[in-house]
Amino acid sequence: MSSPESAHRWIRLIEPACTSCMICARECPSWCISIASHTQPVESLPAGARDRTLNVLDHFAIDWSRCMYCGICVEECPYDALEWAGEPTQAASTSDALVEEMVQPPS
Amino acid sequence: MIEVAPKDWITAVNGLRVDGFEYFDWLGCVDEIGRRECFRIVLVVRNLAEGAEPRMVSCPLPRTDPRIDSVRGVYAGAAWHEREAAELFGVEFMGGERRRLLLNSEFEGTPLRKDEVLAARTGMDWPGAKEPGETEPSPSRRRMVPPGVPDPAVWGDRAAMQPGADPAEVAESAVGGRVRRRRT
Repeated sequence: MSSPESAHRWIRLIEPACTSCMICARECPSWCISIASHTQPVESLPAGARDRTLNVLDHFAIDWSRCMYCGICVEECPYDALEWAGEPTQAASTSDALVEEMVQPPS
Repeated sequence: MIEVAPKDWITAVNGLRVDGFEYFDWLGCVDEIGRRECFRIVLVVRNLAEGAEPRMVSCPLPRTDPRIDSVRGVYAGAAWHEREAAELFGVEFMGGERRRLLLNSEFEGTPLRKDEVLAARTGMDWPGAKEPGETEPSPSRRRMVPPGVPDPAVWGDRAAMQPGADPAEVAESAVGGRVRRRRT
Protein backbone atom coordinates (compact mmCIF):
# COMPACT_ATOMS: atom_id res chain seq x y z
CA MET A 1 0.00 0.00 0.00
CA SER A 2 1.08 3.56 -0.59
CA SER A 3 2.58 5.47 2.27
CA PRO A 4 1.10 8.81 3.36
CA GLU A 5 4.02 10.54 1.62
CA SER A 6 3.02 9.17 -1.76
CA ALA A 7 -0.75 9.27 -1.29
CA HIS A 8 -2.67 11.62 -3.55
CA ARG A 9 -3.49 14.25 -0.96
CA TRP A 10 -1.70 17.45 -1.73
CA ILE A 11 0.75 18.61 -4.39
CA ARG A 12 3.66 20.71 -3.24
CA LEU A 13 5.75 23.01 -5.38
CA ILE A 14 9.49 22.89 -4.80
CA GLU A 15 10.03 26.45 -5.91
CA PRO A 16 13.81 26.49 -6.45
CA ALA A 17 13.49 23.61 -8.91
CA CYS A 18 10.75 25.24 -11.01
CA THR A 19 11.86 26.78 -14.32
CA SER A 20 8.39 28.13 -15.26
CA CYS A 21 8.43 25.86 -18.32
CA MET A 22 4.60 25.63 -18.33
CA ILE A 23 4.58 21.88 -18.94
CA CYS A 24 2.46 21.11 -15.86
CA ALA A 25 -0.10 23.79 -16.74
CA ARG A 26 -0.37 22.45 -20.28
CA GLU A 27 -0.61 18.80 -19.32
CA CYS A 28 -3.20 19.34 -16.58
CA PRO A 29 -6.49 17.89 -17.86
CA SER A 30 -8.56 20.00 -15.49
CA TRP A 31 -6.75 23.29 -16.15
CA CYS A 32 -6.17 23.93 -12.44
CA ILE A 33 -2.56 25.20 -12.46
CA SER A 34 -1.89 28.86 -13.20
CA ILE A 35 1.61 30.22 -13.61
CA ALA A 36 3.05 33.64 -14.34
CA SER A 37 6.71 34.34 -14.87
CA HIS A 38 9.01 36.91 -16.40
CA THR A 39 12.47 36.84 -17.89
CA GLN A 40 15.42 38.73 -16.56
CA PRO A 41 19.01 38.95 -17.69
CA VAL A 42 21.51 36.75 -15.94
CA GLU A 43 23.99 38.85 -14.04
CA SER A 44 27.62 38.07 -13.28
CA LEU A 45 28.34 36.36 -16.58
CA PRO A 46 32.01 35.91 -17.41
CA ALA A 47 33.47 38.75 -19.44
CA GLY A 48 32.70 38.48 -23.12
CA ALA A 49 29.87 35.95 -22.67
CA ARG A 50 26.69 36.30 -24.68
CA ASP A 51 23.76 37.85 -22.81
CA ARG A 52 21.46 35.30 -21.25
CA THR A 53 18.03 35.47 -19.72
CA LEU A 54 16.45 33.42 -16.97
CA ASN A 55 12.78 32.75 -16.27
CA VAL A 56 11.69 34.01 -12.85
CA LEU A 57 8.56 32.47 -11.35
CA ASP A 58 6.18 35.18 -10.12
CA HIS A 59 3.02 33.28 -9.44
CA PHE A 60 2.10 29.62 -9.05
CA ALA A 61 -1.34 28.53 -7.90
CA ILE A 62 -3.33 25.32 -7.89
CA ASP A 63 -7.11 25.51 -7.81
CA TRP A 64 -8.08 22.59 -5.58
CA SER A 65 -11.72 22.97 -6.60
CA ARG A 66 -10.70 21.82 -10.08
CA CYS A 67 -7.79 19.50 -9.28
CA MET A 68 -8.70 15.83 -9.52
CA TYR A 69 -5.47 14.66 -7.89
CA CYS A 70 -4.47 12.65 -10.93
CA GLY A 71 -0.78 13.48 -10.52
CA ILE A 72 -0.09 14.05 -14.21
CA CYS A 73 1.69 17.31 -13.30
CA VAL A 74 3.90 15.47 -10.80
CA GLU A 75 4.73 12.85 -13.44
CA GLU A 76 5.34 15.30 -16.25
CA CYS A 77 7.53 17.86 -14.47
CA PRO A 78 10.98 17.41 -16.02
CA TYR A 79 12.64 19.17 -13.08
CA ASP A 80 10.90 17.27 -10.26
CA ALA A 81 9.54 20.56 -8.96
CA LEU A 82 6.17 19.06 -7.97
CA GLU A 83 5.72 16.28 -5.46
CA TRP A 84 3.03 14.56 -3.48
CA ALA A 85 2.80 15.65 0.12
CA GLY A 86 1.18 13.89 3.03
CA GLU A 87 -1.15 16.58 4.33
CA PRO A 88 -4.61 16.76 2.79
CA THR A 89 -5.61 20.07 1.20
CA GLN A 90 -7.45 22.48 3.45
CA ALA A 91 -11.21 22.63 3.37
CA ALA A 92 -12.76 26.00 2.52
CA SER A 93 -16.20 27.53 2.48
CA THR A 94 -15.89 29.21 -0.92
CA SER A 95 -14.45 27.93 -4.17
CA ASP A 96 -12.19 31.00 -4.42
CA ALA A 97 -10.57 30.02 -1.14
CA LEU A 98 -9.59 26.68 -2.67
CA VAL A 99 -7.13 28.44 -4.97
CA GLU A 100 -3.85 27.94 -3.21
CA GLU A 101 -1.15 30.48 -3.99
CA MET A 102 2.15 28.68 -3.71
CA VAL A 103 4.12 31.61 -5.05
CA GLN A 104 2.40 34.94 -4.48
CA PRO A 105 1.66 37.21 -7.42
CA PRO A 106 3.65 40.46 -7.30
CA SER A 107 1.66 43.09 -5.45
CA MET B 1 -5.89 -9.09 -36.89
CA ILE B 2 -8.56 -10.38 -39.22
CA GLU B 3 -10.59 -7.67 -40.95
CA VAL B 4 -14.11 -8.49 -42.09
CA ALA B 5 -16.88 -6.54 -43.82
CA PRO B 6 -19.93 -5.54 -41.73
CA LYS B 7 -22.13 -8.10 -43.48
CA ASP B 8 -19.75 -10.91 -42.45
CA TRP B 9 -19.34 -9.75 -38.84
CA ILE B 10 -21.64 -12.21 -37.06
CA THR B 11 -20.43 -15.11 -39.20
CA ALA B 12 -16.79 -14.32 -38.44
CA VAL B 13 -17.38 -13.93 -34.70
CA ASN B 14 -19.48 -17.05 -34.58
CA GLY B 15 -16.73 -18.92 -36.43
CA LEU B 16 -14.24 -18.00 -33.71
CA ARG B 17 -16.55 -19.37 -31.05
CA VAL B 18 -16.97 -22.61 -33.01
CA ASP B 19 -13.17 -22.84 -33.31
CA GLY B 20 -12.89 -22.99 -29.53
CA PHE B 21 -12.39 -19.32 -28.72
CA GLU B 22 -15.16 -19.37 -26.17
CA TYR B 23 -13.86 -16.72 -23.81
CA PHE B 24 -14.91 -13.18 -24.73
CA ASP B 25 -12.18 -10.72 -23.72
CA TRP B 26 -13.24 -7.30 -24.99
CA LEU B 27 -14.89 -5.32 -27.75
CA GLY B 28 -13.90 -1.76 -28.53
CA CYS B 29 -14.16 0.96 -31.10
CA VAL B 30 -11.44 3.11 -32.69
CA ASP B 31 -12.01 6.38 -34.53
CA GLU B 32 -9.60 6.18 -37.47
CA ILE B 33 -10.33 9.66 -38.76
CA GLY B 34 -7.33 11.15 -40.52
CA ARG B 35 -6.14 7.71 -41.60
CA ARG B 36 -9.33 6.28 -42.92
CA GLU B 37 -12.91 7.53 -42.91
CA CYS B 38 -14.14 4.85 -40.57
CA PHE B 39 -14.77 3.61 -37.08
CA ARG B 40 -13.21 0.24 -36.44
CA ILE B 41 -14.93 -2.26 -34.18
CA VAL B 42 -12.40 -4.63 -32.62
CA LEU B 43 -13.27 -7.84 -30.82
CA VAL B 44 -10.83 -10.04 -28.92
CA VAL B 45 -11.56 -13.60 -27.83
CA ARG B 46 -9.45 -16.26 -26.17
CA ASN B 47 -9.24 -19.97 -25.98
CA LEU B 48 -8.51 -20.64 -22.33
CA ALA B 49 -8.37 -24.41 -22.64
CA GLU B 50 -5.56 -24.57 -25.18
CA GLY B 51 -3.82 -21.35 -24.13
CA ALA B 52 -3.59 -20.21 -27.75
CA GLU B 53 -2.83 -16.62 -28.77
CA PRO B 54 -5.95 -14.44 -28.48
CA ARG B 55 -7.76 -13.81 -31.74
CA MET B 56 -8.57 -10.30 -32.79
CA VAL B 57 -11.18 -9.56 -35.43
CA SER B 58 -12.13 -6.11 -36.63
CA CYS B 59 -14.64 -4.47 -38.88
CA PRO B 60 -14.44 -0.97 -40.40
CA LEU B 61 -17.68 1.01 -40.45
CA PRO B 62 -18.34 4.15 -42.50
CA ARG B 63 -18.37 7.31 -40.38
CA THR B 64 -21.52 8.56 -42.06
CA ASP B 65 -23.70 5.63 -40.99
CA PRO B 66 -21.85 3.37 -38.55
CA ARG B 67 -24.02 0.30 -38.08
CA ILE B 68 -23.11 -3.27 -37.28
CA ASP B 69 -24.88 -6.40 -36.08
CA SER B 70 -24.74 -7.07 -32.37
CA VAL B 71 -22.80 -10.17 -31.35
CA ARG B 72 -24.44 -10.48 -27.94
CA GLY B 73 -26.19 -13.61 -29.23
CA VAL B 74 -22.75 -15.19 -29.66
CA TYR B 75 -21.04 -13.79 -26.56
CA ALA B 76 -23.51 -12.47 -23.99
CA GLY B 77 -20.71 -10.53 -22.29
CA ALA B 78 -20.24 -8.41 -25.40
CA ALA B 79 -23.49 -6.55 -24.64
CA TRP B 80 -21.89 -4.18 -22.12
CA HIS B 81 -19.00 -3.43 -24.44
CA GLU B 82 -21.39 -2.75 -27.28
CA ARG B 83 -23.43 -0.38 -25.13
CA GLU B 84 -20.27 1.51 -24.23
CA ALA B 85 -19.09 1.77 -27.86
CA ALA B 86 -22.60 2.77 -28.93
CA GLU B 87 -22.85 5.74 -26.60
CA LEU B 88 -19.25 6.92 -26.78
CA PHE B 89 -18.86 6.65 -30.57
CA GLY B 90 -22.44 6.82 -31.80
CA VAL B 91 -22.27 3.40 -33.41
CA GLU B 92 -25.53 1.49 -33.78
CA PHE B 93 -25.47 -2.19 -32.83
CA MET B 94 -28.43 -3.71 -34.61
CA GLY B 95 -30.22 -6.18 -32.40
CA GLY B 96 -28.19 -5.01 -29.39
CA GLU B 97 -29.14 -3.58 -26.03
CA ARG B 98 -30.12 0.07 -26.51
CA ARG B 99 -29.89 1.35 -22.93
CA ARG B 100 -27.03 3.61 -22.03
CA LEU B 101 -24.25 2.25 -19.85
CA LEU B 102 -22.12 5.16 -18.60
CA LEU B 103 -23.52 8.49 -19.78
CA ASN B 104 -26.60 9.99 -18.23
CA SER B 105 -29.75 10.10 -20.27
CA GLU B 106 -29.66 13.86 -20.93
CA PHE B 107 -26.14 13.82 -22.33
CA GLU B 108 -25.94 14.65 -26.01
CA GLY B 109 -22.92 13.88 -28.11
CA THR B 110 -20.41 11.14 -28.77
CA PRO B 111 -17.48 11.90 -26.45
CA LEU B 112 -14.83 9.59 -27.90
CA ARG B 113 -15.18 10.65 -31.52
CA LYS B 114 -12.04 12.56 -32.34
CA ASP B 115 -13.94 15.42 -33.93
CA GLU B 116 -15.94 15.95 -30.74
CA VAL B 117 -15.13 19.39 -29.38
CA LEU B 118 -15.03 20.40 -25.71
CA ALA B 119 -17.28 23.34 -26.48
CA ALA B 120 -17.50 24.72 -22.93
CA ARG B 121 -13.73 25.10 -22.87
CA THR B 122 -13.50 27.17 -26.05
CA GLY B 123 -14.74 30.17 -24.06
CA MET B 124 -12.32 29.69 -21.16
CA ASP B 125 -8.78 30.96 -20.80
CA TRP B 126 -6.40 28.04 -20.95
CA PRO B 127 -3.61 28.41 -18.35
CA GLY B 128 -1.15 26.75 -20.73
CA ALA B 129 -1.51 29.47 -23.37
CA LYS B 130 1.36 31.44 -21.80
CA GLU B 131 4.90 30.77 -22.89
CA PRO B 132 7.61 30.34 -20.25
CA GLY B 133 8.60 33.79 -19.05
CA GLU B 134 5.22 35.36 -19.80
CA THR B 135 2.93 37.05 -17.33
CA GLU B 136 0.12 37.36 -19.85
CA PRO B 137 -0.42 35.21 -22.93
CA SER B 138 0.87 36.97 -26.02
CA PRO B 139 -0.24 36.32 -29.56
CA SER B 140 2.69 34.46 -31.00
CA ARG B 141 3.47 32.39 -34.02
CA ARG B 142 4.09 29.38 -31.84
CA ARG B 143 0.68 29.47 -30.20
CA MET B 144 -0.39 26.36 -28.25
CA VAL B 145 -3.92 25.00 -28.08
CA PRO B 146 -5.18 22.57 -25.44
CA PRO B 147 -6.40 19.07 -26.35
CA GLY B 148 -10.06 18.92 -27.26
CA VAL B 149 -10.27 22.60 -28.13
CA PRO B 150 -9.61 23.17 -31.81
CA ASP B 151 -7.81 26.04 -33.42
CA PRO B 152 -10.34 28.91 -33.55
CA ALA B 153 -9.61 29.33 -37.25
CA VAL B 154 -11.01 25.84 -37.82
CA TRP B 155 -13.88 25.79 -35.36
CA GLY B 156 -15.69 28.82 -33.99
CA ASP B 157 -14.15 31.82 -35.73
CA ARG B 158 -15.18 30.79 -39.21
CA ALA B 159 -17.51 33.28 -40.82
CA ALA B 160 -21.08 32.11 -41.13
CA MET B 161 -20.76 32.32 -44.91
CA GLN B 162 -17.98 29.75 -45.00
CA PRO B 163 -18.77 26.06 -44.89
CA GLY B 164 -17.98 24.37 -41.57
CA ALA B 165 -14.73 22.49 -41.21
CA ASP B 166 -14.97 18.84 -42.10
CA PRO B 167 -14.66 16.36 -39.23
CA ALA B 168 -11.10 15.33 -40.15
CA GLU B 169 -9.96 18.96 -39.98
CA VAL B 170 -11.63 19.47 -36.60
CA ALA B 171 -10.14 16.24 -35.24
CA GLU B 172 -6.66 17.15 -36.47
CA SER B 173 -6.76 20.58 -34.89
CA ALA B 174 -8.13 19.35 -31.55
CA VAL B 175 -5.22 17.10 -30.57
CA GLY B 176 -3.49 19.95 -28.73
CA GLY B 177 0.01 21.30 -29.11
CA ARG B 178 1.41 23.89 -31.46
CA VAL B 179 -0.98 25.33 -34.00
CA ARG B 180 0.33 24.32 -37.36
CA ARG B 181 0.22 26.82 -40.14
CA ARG B 182 -2.77 25.97 -42.25
CA ARG B 183 -2.65 25.62 -45.97
CA THR B 184 -5.42 27.63 -47.58
